[in-house]
Amino acid sequence: MKNKIVISVILSIIIGGYTAISNINSSTQNNEFSIKNGNWKVNPNMDLKDSYQRAYISRIGVFALDDKEALYFLSSKDSDGNPLTSDFDYQISGTPPKGRYWSYTLYGEDYFLVKNDANIYTINKENLTKDKPILVSSSKKDINWLPSGNETKFHITLRVYNPDESVYKNLESLELPIIKKIEK
Amino acid sequence: MVMSICSYNLTIHYIPNIVYAVFHYKIEKNQNIKDNEIKHFDIPSDQSRNVVMPNPDFLYSTIFYDLSEKDLNINANMPDSTYWSVSFYKPNTINWYVKNDREFDTNKLDLTLTLNDSKSEDFITSPVKKGFMIIRILVEKKDKESINYYKSLQKNIILK
Repeated sequence: MKNKIVISVILSIIIGGYTAISNINSSTQNNEFSIKNGNWKVNPNMDLKDSYQRAYISRIGVFALDDKEALYFLSSKDSDGNPLTSDFDYQISGTPPKGRYWSYTLYGEDYFLVKNDANIYTINKENLTKDKPILVSSSKKDINWLPSGNETKFHITLRVYNPDESVYKNLESLELPIIKKIEK
Repeated sequence: MVMSICSYNLTIHYIPNIVYAVFHYKIEKNQNIKDNEIKHFDIPSDQSRNVVMPNPDFLYSTIFYDLSEKDLNINANMPDSTYWSVSFYKPNTINWYVKNDREFDTNKLDLTLTLNDSKSEDFITSPVKKGFMIIRILVEKKDKESINYYKSLQKNIILK
């Protein structure tokens, strides 16, 4: 009888813990707390008194800064809603939100930087050739090239540091750049 | 049922602490550093696998701090021409302090992290005994001269 109670308690603890981890993983995959704007998602300031939101943010953006310091817009899809993949080329057009500094960084499916011979991982305010499009491609491009390597799926993060107040107070209605599939 | 609910709530509550503990363990083991030691990281590349989504435009310097025995003084001549910031985190990964170059009066950093209350701007009161610090320096231009310049400034961030 005693053994049955002990086993029961242990199983309950395991089930509770497993359910918690599954729920958090599901929330992170579905970007449950994200604000969606076109093909971008951004996480607003979380309510850090809420332990579920604290757990969520620790999984998707550990050591991220608050939205007055930095905003992180993430896209895993093109403007047609299809997953980003190195099988295709893309053009990023439109003006990034106003802020002190901005950059586009490409991450692999595992959210780490993508291996490429050119060691290019980002296009930013400083290295952008103005009036030329940003091209995301597995093949070398001469200008504003963001390499996608051999990634089956990848993500693009648009970071804006010290965004204008008009930006972080209007995340849902902001006009954001577009990631459009183009001919290879 | 009650045990499951308790287990669920406790797991949710401590997930951030577990994430932090795993990160702390990996850095300690892979980078061979201890608490109250500063670690300067190179600009992230595809080889950087400590934390997801590293920003390849930044130089990072980090400290796992422990104020049990004494305060920690961070000293540096920071750049005057680019974004840089100092941020602190609790062991549940919550950011409790961030200040950037435009908010400091000077680029000569001389901060003391302490557990004691202080009204001085040069003293920062930590709400926790142990935590994590990140100093970020933005390196927008990736030419060799710029990278070497900012790396030399990064190296002069020291603990006293």
